[in-house]
Amino acid sequence: MRVEIDRRPIWVILAGKALRPVFFLLLALGFILFLQLPVPEGLGTGGMRAIAVFLLCLVLWVSNAVPVAITGLFAIVLVPLLGVLPRGATYSLFGNEAVFFILGAFILSGAVMQSGLSNRVALRLMEKHGGSPKRLIISIFLLAAALSFVMSEHAVAAMLFPIVLEISKSLKLRPGESNYGKLLFFALAWGSVIGGVGTFLGGARVPLAMGILKETTGSTIGFLDYTVAVAPLVVVLLIVGYIVLTRFFPVDIDGVENAHKVIVRRARALGKVRPREYAVGLILGITILLWITIGKTVGLAAIAMLSVMALFVLKLVKWREIEEYVNWGIILMYGGAIILGTALDRSGAAKWMVDAIMTQWAQTPITVIALFSLLAILLTESMSNAAVIAVLLPVSIGMAGRTNMSPEVLTYVVAIPAGLAFMLPMSTPANAIAVSSDYISVRDMAKGGVIMFLTSWVTFNLMAHFYWPLIGLR
Amino acid sequence: MIRKNYFKNPGALKIDLMLRGAAIEDPVAKARACGATGIDILLPKKILVNIPCEDWFTVRSPYVIKKSAGKKGYILTNGSDSVPVSILDRPEFYSRKTATGVPFGDIAVTHGSYTVITPDKRCGFFKSSAQCRYCAGNFSTDAAENGGRVYTVEEVLETVKAVLKEKASGIIYLSIGFSDGDDGGIKFLEPYVKAIKSHFNCLVAVEALPPASNEWIDRAYAFGVDSILYNLDIFDKELFSVICPGRAGLIGRQRTLDALKYAAGIFANGTVASHLIVGLEPPGSTIMGIDFLTDSGVVPILPIFRPSKDRPLDVTDLDAEVIIPVYRHLYKTLKKKGINFNWVRDISMVTTPVEGRYLLNDEKSSSPFLDNFYESRLGMKTAWGLSAIRRRLRVKKIKKEDPPEGSP
Ligand code: SF4
Repeated sequence: MRVEIDRRPIWVILAGKALRPVFFLLLALGFILFLQLPVPEGLGTGGMRAIAVFLLCLVLWVSNAVPVAITGLFAIVLVPLLGVLPRGATYSLFGNEAVFFILGAFILSGAVMQSGLSNRVALRLMEKHGGSPKRLIISIFLLAAALSFVMSEHAVAAMLFPIVLEISKSLKLRPGESNYGKLLFFALAWGSVIGGVGTFLGGARVPLAMGILKETTGSTIGFLDYTVAVAPLVVVLLIVGYIVLTRFFPVDIDGVENAHKVIVRRARALGKVRPREYAVGLILGITILLWITIGKTVGLAAIAMLSVMALFVLKLVKWREIEEYVNWGIILMYGGAIILGTALDRSGAAKWMVDAIMTQWAQTPITVIALFSLLAILLTESMSNAAVIAVLLPVSIGMAGRTNMSPEVLTYVVAIPAGLAFMLPMSTPANAIAVSSDYISVRDMAKGGVIMFLTSWVTFNLMAHFYWPLIGLR
Repeated sequence: MIRKNYFKNPGALKIDLMLRGAAIEDPVAKARACGATGIDILLPKKILVNIPCEDWFTVRSPYVIKKSAGKKGYILTNGSDSVPVSILDRPEFYSRKTATGVPFGDIAVTHGSYTVITPDKRCGFFKSSAQCRYCAGNFSTDAAENGGRVYTVEEVLETVKAVLKEKASGIIYLSIGFSDGDDGGIKFLEPYVKAIKSHFNCLVAVEALPPASNEWIDRAYAFGVDSILYNLDIFDKELFSVICPGRAGLIGRQRTLDALKYAAGIFANGTVASHLIVGLEPPGSTIMGIDFLTDSGVVPILPIFRPSKDRPLDVTDLDAEVIIPVYRHLYKTLKKKGINFNWVRDISMVTTPVEGRYLLNDEKSSSPFLDNFYESRLGMKTAWGLSAIRRRLRVKKIKKEDPPEGSP
């Protein structure tokens, strides 16, 4: 334990501390006052209360005043307490398929990491393709993206971080000064972020979006359908990302022999592939195959759970090892988000909000896509990806009837951009991990992030406009 | 030389009494109150003073403490003038023992508002004969040789409990000598301070040696030390290295000054202090020390060098007239620089900066109400509460490997 003494004047510290209670007091007062306002025409009392809970959660998610999971609890408790949904119905939403899918995904990715398989794949690929400075960057960038197709992007960033850190140390790169150091950590962070939007497995937000879609409309999106819909964006972002990085931070070293030695040494130390790694790899492969082929009929969660059961039946993992990879906070947050989305939908609040607010600006499919994707990308810079979905998706799905767009497209419009966080360390743990290396400053990240932000928004809109109709998405 | 009569000024009288001691006529009082460290008496204006009273020290002193004729209590007299005084009883807890059989009086000594506890009486400088030349012989090299030992946390806790129960004083003052290591003794004292803080609502002051790095100062503040003392004792560079060879060689004068300055930026105003012993260097040098320390926000505390039969160091006799201006300078400087000196009050062993006002006839500048408050139990509790709140606000505990923050 290290201690740090805050040497600012005591009144400044006190003012800082007072902010929190004052904030919560104002929030509570605002919430109560909102509930006292006259109910607008076209909106019922339930809808009004659902909006009050929605606004409260929005403020808490944006401000990060309490952990996102606890904001989820606010929704879980307030929705039945205010009579927006019956108690039994509210808590049963927690048993949503999306919640179990994400639980399964956490366990699967934990098993892959625990078995050492992901580490081996990472080292082998870098050993093979990381012979020159540029090739090393490309291999880290693509590796982070590829791994994020099958594991949570946060887990990928956390897993590759020690390897990349060791590489930078072996090359004697100076934190904060070396361009190559910046490149290495940007490749790690942005590779994970871009890869994370590629499939259902890159993060928890797409399963959450599917959960809300299913609860509100009854329809679902297939594993492969999603990947096909998003593929061009991933390819463009990987190319533009590499160009942006190497333009902003030109390579300033001659060779990577030392780094290569580190990778080789680490790879050799792993020894031969163990049966456990083969088995976990096989189960993961079969799981993905089943998701692609029969995911729509059987349900993604059921497949995920079957794979989890197989892992334990075959004694490939122990519960104690896996427990640390299961982010219960996110699962709690999911429950809250799904309940909130359903409350907004069933109380008629989502429809009312669309009518009252969005109709003025978003009349045509083009403007709807442009507006929601922009909002999602902007919000995700300061909010958790999943919270953005919880806030925007019920409203966007509500636009379906009015704009003649399919609810699936309106789900993509929020779910995909919600993962595109490039600018700030607080946007996503992958960025935070990269900044924590001290090689990248917040300014560096914001500088490159602005271009990626614009590129991703423009590309997404072009893709939605020209590519999606070709694959039947309208 | 004709000596001045200080009976009208209790501040000056305290200084003169500390320099010259006082004989005690009443054998009962002498047996009851006078110990090896002198006798604690209360002068007019509630000024507390510890006066040497051993016969060899007081032979040339004009002062005598005797029973007041016809009245209860005692007077201090020089034959022509006198003032009423009261003799402070030895605290009762001195005669009681810990569960392990150690007399509390061996572990703790009360000097007015604070009680000194030295859990380990060894100082490493004695090992290499590099001890400070004025140092009392009770800090010996080897505990076994000294018949003493390291008191356990439990023994110290029992002692503190006895002190506080008797309301003997409100501040526990832990001290430590030199030991190997770069922490200045803070690491050793940490479990004692933490235990005291977790059991009792009292203030804890620590007298240690300056640590090699400032992290230890942060840490001391964080784990509960309310006031810290790194004693410089002698400001003059050359005299410092001659009289304190161990501290000059192994810690360094500059490091002591740097550590004090840093600590003054961490601890509350007026809670970082350093002794400058009056009589070990010319008064002008002590005055320069006062200026230097107060520039850094440190409160200089000026004990008077008290010769002892066991100490090798001998200095020429001091005269109150020579050293009173030094105390006046201290009072004026602290006031001018806005350094809070209320922490250092009611100490029998030194003339505190608060008492400096009597030397300058500046009594009007103080408020009796505030003085009473500072001295009261409520005042002590308030100081403890404020100190605890300040610590809560200022200390941030950071795990070494905190994962980066991020949203899911
Ligand atoms: S540091 Fe000096 S004064 Fe303190 S105990 Fe050691 S020898 Fe004595």
